[in-house]
Amino acid sequence: MCKKTSLVVLLVLALIASMLTACGGGSAEPADDADAVQGGKLVVYTALNEEDILAVQKQFKEDTGIEIEYIRLGGGDAVARVQAEMASPKADVLVGGSVDLYEPLAKEGAFEKYSSPNNADLDPMFNDPNGYWQGWYMGVQGIVINTERFDAELASQGLERPKTWDDLLDPRYKDVLVNSNPATSGGAYIFVADQIFRLGEDKAWDYLKALDQNIHHYYKGAGDCISPIAAGEFIAGVSWVHDIFKVQKQGYPIEIIIPEKTAFEIGGAAVVKGGPNTENAKIFVDWLLTKEAGELNTQISNRYSVRDDVAAPEGLPTMEEINLVEYDRSKAGEMKPAVVEKFETEIMSNRG
Amino acid sequence: MNTGISIHESLKEIKRLKNEPLLLIVIVAIILFVCYFAVWPVIKVVTVPSLSDYGQLFTRSRWISALKNSLFMTLVSTISCTTIAFLFAYTIARVDVPCKRLFRFITLLPIVSPPFIVALSYILLFGIQGIITKGVFGLRVDIYGRFGLWIVQTVTFFPYAYSVIYGVINSISTNLEYAAYNVGASRWQVFRDVFFPLCRPGIAGGALIAAINVLTDFGNPMMIGGDLALLPTEAYMQISGWYDMKTAAVLATALLVPALGIFVINRFWVGQRSYVTVTGKEISLHPFELPKAVKWGLFSGCMAFSLFVLLVYGTLLYGAFTKTWGYDWSLTLDNMKYVFFKGEQILNSIKFAFLSSILAALLAMVLAYIVQKKQVGVNKFLDFIAILPGAIPGLFLGIGFVMAFNTKPVELTGTSAIMVLALLFWNIPTCYSASTAGLQQIGNSVEDAALNLGANSFRGFKDIILPLLKAPFLSGFVLSFLRSVTCLSVVIFIYSPHTIVGTVSIMGLVETGQWGSAAAFTVVLIAVAFGVLKVARYLLGKQGIKLEL
Repeated sequence: MCKKTSLVVLLVLALIASMLTACGGGSAEPADDADAVQGGKLVVYTALNEEDILAVQKQFKEDTGIEIEYIRLGGGDAVARVQAEMASPKADVLVGGSVDLYEPLAKEGAFEKYSSPNNADLDPMFNDPNGYWQGWYMGVQGIVINTERFDAELASQGLERPKTWDDLLDPRYKDVLVNSNPATSGGAYIFVADQIFRLGEDKAWDYLKALDQNIHHYYKGAGDCISPIAAGEFIAGVSWVHDIFKVQKQGYPIEIIIPEKTAFEIGGAAVVKGGPNTENAKIFVDWLLTKEAGELNTQISNRYSVRDDVAAPEGLPTMEEINLVEYDRSKAGEMKPAVVEKFETEIMSNRG
Repeated sequence: MNTGISIHESLKEIKRLKNEPLLLIVIVAIILFVCYFAVWPVIKVVTVPSLSDYGQLFTRSRWISALKNSLFMTLVSTISCTTIAFLFAYTIARVDVPCKRLFRFITLLPIVSPPFIVALSYILLFGIQGIITKGVFGLRVDIYGRFGLWIVQTVTFFPYAYSVIYGVINSISTNLEYAAYNVGASRWQVFRDVFFPLCRPGIAGGALIAAINVLTDFGNPMMIGGDLALLPTEAYMQISGWYDMKTAAVLATALLVPALGIFVINRFWVGQRSYVTVTGKEISLHPFELPKAVKWGLFSGCMAFSLFVLLVYGTLLYGAFTKTWGYDWSLTLDNMKYVFFKGEQILNSIKFAFLSSILAALLAMVLAYIVQKKQVGVNKFLDFIAILPGAIPGLFLGIGFVMAFNTKPVELTGTSAIMVLALLFWNIPTCYSASTAGLQQIGNSVEDAALNLGANSFRGFKDIILPLLKAPFLSGFVLSFLRSVTCLSVVIFIYSPHTIVGTVSIMGLVETGQWGSAAAFTVVLIAVAFGVLKVARYLLGKQGIKLEL
């Protein structure tokens, strides 16, 4: 009996030994990184597009000599990662995604206070009053239309391209419209809150319920509807303009419409507290606020710069031409749980 | 069973271990190892929310319906997955039909699909504007919701059940069936009373793995679930859409409960009955010839299903070479160029998948052997910890790993080791189910007989148990390898700029709507995974080992 188990023991010991060697081999890597840090490095966690961050990487290296190493994630995934790594941060700076998502991390103490000297001339709404995050671009919500299907099926019924949020209530949009669910998407919530700020509480719910009649289904994420619309599965939906634009650039027959009283997000950047290259992170935030970086980002990603002297993305209206809703961020945050629950009970639960 | 007595017996068994110090060391080492790398990360995540956060679970109507929907989908998809898996396993193992190589291929293909990307193939073919549904048949079919999700999940997850069921069917001796025929049983009686009961551990093990995969699936519901709220998507979206880790942890924990429930039901269903085939030998006689109608019925069932799967993946392959997915079908190589630009990621994918699955298969085999063949007092507990990682959604495991191993003494974040370890534990249940199902087919008597005939213990294990376990070991390993190559959820929080893998790029491409490049990446990953499989088969073949899947 004893002998029989000896083989099992051998197997397990071999297994554990190989584990340890794997660990040993792996743990040598961060040590190498630590040495290289002195040469001028910056670890960036970003929710920007791959293309955007590649351009930023190149330009930043040219301007400052600092080498960017990056990880590209969805906004929420990037935040979750910074939060999970708080005890021993691996990132120096978090870039991209709405500042709404920076707020909870700032409260938990994940960020280093830093107010860039370059933010003095900006509209105060772009600067965190507590100094943890920095707004450096804006994204606006819009309507995405599949033009081929629209022209073939809706234009023939005498329908014109929608110009306002209210135009989407036309019954001819029934079942060709898709949207996303505020319970699962921050962007979708901004759309709902937009309606509340635009119409007032009661009328907003009337609007949302009327719109619901036309909606085929609610996607989980705010960007999920774009590709199906581009491929012609549906005709119209609501999403972020810069996200729609990325898909449009590939040659799909889609069009972006920015309706009156649309909502916007502020895209952020923040220095991670205790990261390996904090000084370089501050240089990076300063750099992001320069006119050149703003132009680069606007040109590649179609987001609006927070700087007045950077022109609007090509082919899109200027910020002055866009009629923004008066979006009260703190109120939007306060009413969120109640609004999401109401959306669930009064709209979602009535759907098949 | 009287619990008082069973506890007493367990204690007695534990005391007896004192006489076998080596076995004791192994058991303690395994328990520590698994607890540290599987249980500890879970505890880390579960303790993030406060009790009042958990209270929300029972007050928010959406989550109550998410729980109901998740259980419903798990039930129906598991039944269909297991049925299809049994159809394929039986046909491939027992029926003399052509095209078996195709059928085998079909049972592997869906495992190698990263989340999200295949769903768009379905929509393109079977959606409201679907090429097949609208283009060919002129139908207006709405696949968004339970029905579409059911179809997609069946195709995606039946291979997991298949690999376990096939392993078991293949190790069932036909001799018993011949004996039954000889004493006058009808074909149906033999199937029902002899063959099917012997399959039960395999069916239960396969269903378990399929059920847990369905339960924790978030890629398919995102694209095709329509308005359906499901627990894993809700949990994922709390992070991805609302940046709310606490709520995500609450929902992920809520997911653990039904997952553990599935585990208990599974063990109950297999029951205490013994399903041991006496000889434990490999098939010695050719399977009994089936009636022609049954044979070709099975064949057409497998063929119809295979064509469906081929169509979906064919679309993906074609899409990888087109300008804009689903719109401009003119051919281009641009998407492929992008993939080669990211070649290092594909190497990483292979490297981590290989290391983690070979280690998982080894550990799982030892665990399964101890649980099945040794009375050590803690068998149930060992069984539980072996299957536990399967009940943990990959995303949850990944976050847990970062939280648990981000500080001294064991600081692993950013290393290759954390990638290998996380995937290893994610793979253990797959390998363990395969090994267990295989072991349950081997009677103790075979090993005992060898010992009685003068073989020493080492030979008993080496010559009797190991050869019989080779098939489940290898199938567990290959299955783990393939699913690791395309795993996204586990690694998304733990990769670093140096350890980035292919699926991460696919996810990014899907997010930014670059479906063509995402399809190209997927096609290359699938091709590479099958290439590695082919090489492994060849090398093993040289050693005289046949890698059957």
